[in-house]
Amino acid sequence: MATGTLYTYPENFRAYKALIAAQYSGAKVKVADNFKFGETNKSAEFLKKFPSGKVPAFETADGKYLSESNAIAYYVANEQLRGGKCPFVQAQVQQWVSFADNEIVPASCAWVFPLLGILPQQKNSTAKQDALVVLELLNKKLLDVTYLAGERISLADIVVFSSLLHLYEYVLEPSVRSAFGNLNRWFVTILNQPQVQAVVKDFKICEKALVFDPKKYAEFQAKTGGKQQQQPKQKEEKKPKEKKEAKKDEPAEELDAADEALALEPKSKDPFDAMPKGTFNFDDFKRVYSNEAEEKSIPYFFEKFDPENYSIWFGEYKYNDELQKVFMSCNLITGMFQRLDKMRKQAFASVCLFGEDNNSTISGVWVWRGQDLAFTLSPDWQVDYEVYDWKKLDPKSEETKKLVTQYFSWAGADKNGRKFNQGKIFK
Amino acid sequence: MCDVAVVKKIANCLGVAPGKVQLNDEQVVTRTIGQNKTVQGFATILESLARESKSEAAQNSTSTKEVKAQVYQWLEFAVLYVAPGSKDKYVSKQLLADFNKLFISKSYLVGNFITLADLAVYYAIYDLMKSLSPVDKENYLNLSRWFDHLQQRPEVHQGEPLLNFTTIYLHGWATGTHI
Ligand SMILES: N[C@@H](CCC(=O)N[C@@H](CS)C(=O)NCC(=O)O)C(=O)O
Repeated sequence: MATGTLYTYPENFRAYKALIAAQYSGAKVKVADNFKFGETNKSAEFLKKFPSGKVPAFETADGKYLSESNAIAYYVANEQLRGGKCPFVQAQVQQWVSFADNEIVPASCAWVFPLLGILPQQKNSTAKQDALVVLELLNKKLLDVTYLAGERISLADIVVFSSLLHLYEYVLEPSVRSAFGNLNRWFVTILNQPQVQAVVKDFKICEKALVFDPKKYAEFQAKTGGKQQQQPKQKEEKKPKEKKEAKKDEPAEELDAADEALALEPKSKDPFDAMPKGTFNFDDFKRVYSNEAEEKSIPYFFEKFDPENYSIWFGEYKYNDELQKVFMSCNLITGMFQRLDKMRKQAFASVCLFGEDNNSTISGVWVWRGQDLAFTLSPDWQVDYEVYDWKKLDPKSEETKKLVTQYFSWAGADKNGRKFNQGKIFK
Repeated sequence: MCDVAVVKKIANCLGVAPGKVQLNDEQVVTRTIGQNKTVQGFATILESLARESKSEAAQNSTSTKEVKAQVYQWLEFAVLYVAPGSKDKYVSKQLLADFNKLFISKSYLVGNFITLADLAVYYAIYDLMKSLSPVDKENYLNLSRWFDHLQQRPEVHQGEPLLNFTTIYLHGWATGTHI
């Protein structure tokens, strides 16, 4: 009987396939202790065993290595789960395993991930409709059959079930799932098998669908350091043909797919072009700011600033209560700067973090061309601005002078007395 | 199928020797094993069979108190209502409609697994299902799914030819009468 260690992070639906299969077969599958996603699976030791660096991954007791969740589930399963003795039923199991990977998972990720904040929300996305088509197909099938392959629970049921978990947890609220009565019946049947309950604990079927929350996305960006934002550039260099062929059947690739969509969009013109060009030259100021001390660069700013055609803003992060680690907050700021890349030419900002771990605030002083909130000019820029409160500052007031001086020189404290900790310059 | 036949089928299904199964003077089914150990009454007999069996259905039937109680209710219902009712033109129509409705949201009668309840109702309704024309079956697609699922298990069909449910694939174009 199969025995070994499964590497995964908790509640990974892909890992569930193997863990449920093991409940049926009695295979001894131990989940690795102390697994840290992004760390353990990127270590040299792990990559030597599993070159893809992906999880779930399985190490047998006698030192053999398997990756790919479906293969692992097959290995730890028993004859019944693999489809029994009949080659046709075995083939049906394969059919549904492929269906889950190629149809369900991409549709589910495209719908659910933006709502979880791990992918940007795309305009005119057909993700929901695409998923509903897949669900309807399953629903039709399950009118006539109790299980997907043969008359026993098999890997077909386990894999399809696991691949549907995100949908049933986050978006299939009662009014949506009521259209899929047969699928619901089957889902509840599988969910309530003791072998499944032993793995998928406390699962609650969706009461109210998640809605997109820009804050969550910003937080995710903070944690990942806005990593995927840097990808479109590399992608653009590839030939368009390759882009279209890219598959999108897993989160990592999903991210790429989202980026591709962005990259394929016709390059928008610089939104600032529509505004009158004043006398304030950002490049000159930025050069002075970078090379000279603040005693020089701040007076230079006020001397050259053109209030007719430019404006100064104060932006305060709305969810300071939820800021935890300082480095995460800094990533939050850097991520935002990356997303606002195209604004750089016509804007400057100093954004500061005050306080320490678990007690900090983010705020900044921004300068840009035009008199209105610049973020509405381009859809790319709207991800972050909703998570800040924006206040336009009067360029002539003393108060503004003080704020600008404080923020440009990275000093002082926030309004509740938290000391300056770190600053980031958008230039 | 009479009660005696059903008890024998189910004993077979559970892999248990049925012993001597017959009707007593009051037309109540009895099961005698060995010299003078006799159990009486359909539901009681099935419970005694389940206790002797290691099969999946038997074990499921006794998994919790609630399951046990619900299974018992279905056994009574099967023998007192389904079996006689399925011989009556009007009652049988109602039975089919009720079961079809029940199986919209359930895969099995009790819990989420096969139990004695399914087996008892299956055999009680078998003759009625056999009498249905393909068009009739179109009206009871959820019931048909459940029935077909059970009959495909070798321990359930016990060598009898399978009833034909392939016409249920016609519902793609037949108008949506299935729910
Ligand atoms: N097709 C693979 C996909 C595995 C996969 O994408 N794993 C993700 C987490 S769910 C991962 O480990 N990503 C790390 C990386 O891409 O570096 C499977 O089913 O096992």
